[in-house]
Amino acid sequence: MGLPLYDAHSDPGPSFFQYAQSAGLNPSVTTNGSSAHATTVIAVRYDQGVVMVGDRQATGNYIASRDVRKIEPADRFTAIAISGTAARGIEFIRMAQLSFEHYEKMTDSALSLEGKANYLSPIVQRNNLSSPLIVLPLLAGWDPSHQVGRIFEYDGAGGCYERFDFATIGSGTPFAESALRLGFRTDLDREGALELGALALYEAGDNDPSTGGPDFVRNIYPMIVTITSEGFQELEQDDVATRFRAINERRTQSGGVAGGTLR
Amino acid sequence: MSNYFYVSPEQLTKDRAEFAQKGIARGRSLVAALYDVGVLLVAENPSASLNKISEIYDRIAFAGVGKYNEFDRLREAGIRWADGTGFTYSREDVDARALANYYAQHLGDMFTEGQKPLEVEILVAQLGNKIRPTKLYRVAYEGTISDESRFAVLGGDAETIRGRFAATEEVIHPLRETLKNAVDALAGPERTIATSELEVGILEDRGSRRTFMRLSDDQVSELLR
Repeated sequence: MGLPLYDAHSDPGPSFFQYAQSAGLNPSVTTNGSSAHATTVIAVRYDQGVVMVGDRQATGNYIASRDVRKIEPADRFTAIAISGTAARGIEFIRMAQLSFEHYEKMTDSALSLEGKANYLSPIVQRNNLSSPLIVLPLLAGWDPSHQVGRIFEYDGAGGCYERFDFATIGSGTPFAESALRLGFRTDLDREGALELGALALYEAGDNDPSTGGPDFVRNIYPMIVTITSEGFQELEQDDVATRFRAINERRTQSGGVAGGTLR
Repeated sequence: MSNYFYVSPEQLTKDRAEFAQKGIARGRSLVAALYDVGVLLVAENPSASLNKISEIYDRIAFAGVGKYNEFDRLREAGIRWADGTGFTYSREDVDARALANYYAQHLGDMFTEGQKPLEVEILVAQLGNKIRPTKLYRVAYEGTISDESRFAVLGGDAETIRGRFAATEEVIHPLRETLKNAVDALAGPERTIATSELEVGILEDRGSRRTFMRLSDDQVSELLR
């Protein structure tokens, strides 16, 4: 690769995606990729930011991996989660991480959270053009200019929608959403949001064969992260294990049914 | 058909060099120096937003003097090259020496073949790690590249400033002393430079992947106290 110099008319600006396209760095999108969205990732808004919970299982015709990370920091104040084809998803996260940093270096200022959300739209659209829903992301972050946590979800055509309560992606969505719809309150605090997020993921893992719930045998648990004014923080594995053990014990006591309450 | 007058290569090179030197001499200078745990870049720059110093990659910084539009374009190309290389291969494959060579080739080409030579001097600084050394690569307007092991001076009055900085002891100091020496060398004995007219950046390991950091006016004042 030589020195990428452009004249003012063809300059791709601070967008890494635009530059990668003009320089031919993007791998071409294949049409025969599997479009299984075997995943559950949840984002819940609370008074201090956003909680995200994601399962760890990669599923094809069988379980391919039990410890996949589906939520990654895109930068200090932003998290990206993916559902769909693993190869495209990993590329998507790399592209997002690099793009936000690229913009910051090129312009000496960070992209706004809304700017990051809109930036991803054409990438989602491009990924999904030839084969529907190859990868769908979920973006959550702390917005430093408005001092709130915000969640953005996408549809297959690249549409970007802000959610003011919660959002989910992946095959476990119906089960996770049910729990979230019943349990969400506008005045959730950190503890309440963590509890609700974990419970919604437990529900998805319980009902959706492609979502991995807590794995007490291998000691592998879903990922839980918070994004607040302190930035992206991942909960310690012991902390996560304690939360899922508590849910599991309550369920065991009530014979596997929730028993009329969110617990 | 037009007639060309013969101009000897010696004369052509001399004219172009004079032109580039004049352009660079109009701007203010810049000092880059190693300190005990990092690399310091100090530029005299009255503008707070038109930067001469920039982050290129995790362990690489850029500095330019001369015509702003010309070196800023090179800065952008450097960021694109580094991010593109890291995306294609791996982050650890991004090497400052390779980038400095590309700059040298481009400046050399422009000097001999361009409409006019670029009126810039470029510095590519790399903070070392297990696989690469800490280095300052200086690229002159005609494409000459040199690697400096302790310090480098770019810009108008480079020779005088180099002499002043070289007069300080030949040891690698902590940041505070290095910054003081660099600012003293830039200012000279008869002048002081206001903190607001200094642009300061460092490359230093702080436990995260990215090592570049700008120092604010307050941080610079504190260090110079």
